[in-house]
Amino acid sequence: MTGRTEYAPAASETPPKILIVDDRPENLMATSALLRPLGAAILTAESGSDALMLVLKHSFAIVLLDVQMPVMDGFETARLMKTRPDMENVPIIFVTAISKEDHFATRAAEIGAVDYIFKPINPDILKSKVKVYLDLYRQREQILKLNATLRQSNEELERFAYVCSHDMQEPVRMMNTYAGFLEQDAAAVLDDNSQRYVTYIRDNAVRMQKMIRDILTFSRVGREEVRTEKVDCNQVLAETLREFEDVIALKHAAIYAGPLPMLQTSPTLVRILFQNLIGNALKFQKGAVPPEISISAQASGSMWRFEVKDNGIGIDPAFSDRVFTIFQRLHRAEEYPGTGIGLSTCKKFLRLVGGDITFTSHPGEGTTFVFTLPAR
Amino acid sequence: MYTDLEILLVEDNEGDVEMTRRALRTAKPQCRLTVANNGDQAIKLLQDVSVQPPHLILLDINMPRMDGKAFLSAIKQDETFRAIPVVMFTSSESPNDIRECYERYASGYVVKPFDGVQYANTVREVVHFWGEVSQLPS
Repeated sequence: MTGRTEYAPAASETPPKILIVDDRPENLMATSALLRPLGAAILTAESGSDALMLVLKHSFAIVLLDVQMPVMDGFETARLMKTRPDMENVPIIFVTAISKEDHFATRAAEIGAVDYIFKPINPDILKSKVKVYLDLYRQREQILKLNATLRQSNEELERFAYVCSHDMQEPVRMMNTYAGFLEQDAAAVLDDNSQRYVTYIRDNAVRMQKMIRDILTFSRVGREEVRTEKVDCNQVLAETLREFEDVIALKHAAIYAGPLPMLQTSPTLVRILFQNLIGNALKFQKGAVPPEISISAQASGSMWRFEVKDNGIGIDPAFSDRVFTIFQRLHRAEEYPGTGIGLSTCKKFLRLVGGDITFTSHPGEGTTFVFTLPAR
Repeated sequence: MYTDLEILLVEDNEGDVEMTRRALRTAKPQCRLTVANNGDQAIKLLQDVSVQPPHLILLDINMPRMDGKAFLSAIKQDETFRAIPVVMFTSSESPNDIRECYERYASGYVVKPFDGVQYANTVREVVHFWGEVSQLPS
């Protein structure tokens, strides 16, 4: 156990607490003295009922429990302690003189004891055992604290993204509209350069609007309750293809769609998936080769497995771990426009409902995206 | 045809007010547009008996002081004003906002178009439908 990073408690932190229960005061004194150097606060009780009173008031890192006590023995005390939810993870070490009988071990294990110390107590063994549990306790506390901090900063970030994008919609719309009014109203008085500048303003306002919408969609996933209904995936696909009909016609794209299932799921999710995957398949066309896109689905256990396959430029394996990362764009905006948010929204949403998304790709030959949705 | 159509626009953004005026100026000259910058101001205007009540209210959601939803709840609980159609006119596409406004008896929910020309067309269509086609006989 050498070389392990020791947890260094800050001065303001309260030390962990150890509870020692024994009906003999001299044992309590001896054990307390032995454990004091470990830096924990030590509380003692001379009976099971006193111990239970203390458990109500304090939260402990470890309980050392004498088995042979009058009135309420160690087993009964432990059983009652374990009925409290906050005691569930607290290690109880039985201190006992009775020997290694089988029924003792079974009974102790049933109650949830984690360890035994046999009398007469060997001070070194007791001390090192307690130290191990104290270290575990401190590490656990530290992880819990870190988790809480992480969760909080995550929530703050999500809220920030949501509020930001929500409030940015207004100003960017104003820029676009009033630049448009300038184009309309002032065309006669603006020279060529000025007209070009106005166009830059509008083009960039439009780009920014797309980003804001995508960020909003992304941050809504998980914020807002997922509403499910009976969704005919064939119908959602047909609607999505209608939205793309201009691009499909322009690029002479061929779409093959197999029969898709009827699922109890979020219609928004299915729409986002088809919009992004088919949109990408159309966008990442290989030169002048007309896009060929096939969409199919098959049942696989408790899931439905969907495939969206294209004959586009493919994805370089070097970038494969970045495909689903938010704001990761693998191409310049001038080559292939996009915000780098679509696929991360797909992944986030799918994970939320118990599905997932992956892809396989051969650069120059095409990409197949595979996503799964619970069949239910 | 109505010779005068009273419209109350509850909107805090000067840019939006200007766009709405611009949309109605030539296409709907019979409209009289009154503007309140938030819910509080709108309620004061409605309570002023010397002013004719509007035929239609166009209502933004995000406003300082009393916001659009609070104003909507307030006038839909008021015997005198509840029959006035209120059409939400907002940037928000949030499903929650849409649901909450309809639950508070909004007559319609229109997302402000990003493009100025479409914005103007939308304003004119909303005013035409809710201000002229579907008015209750008085």
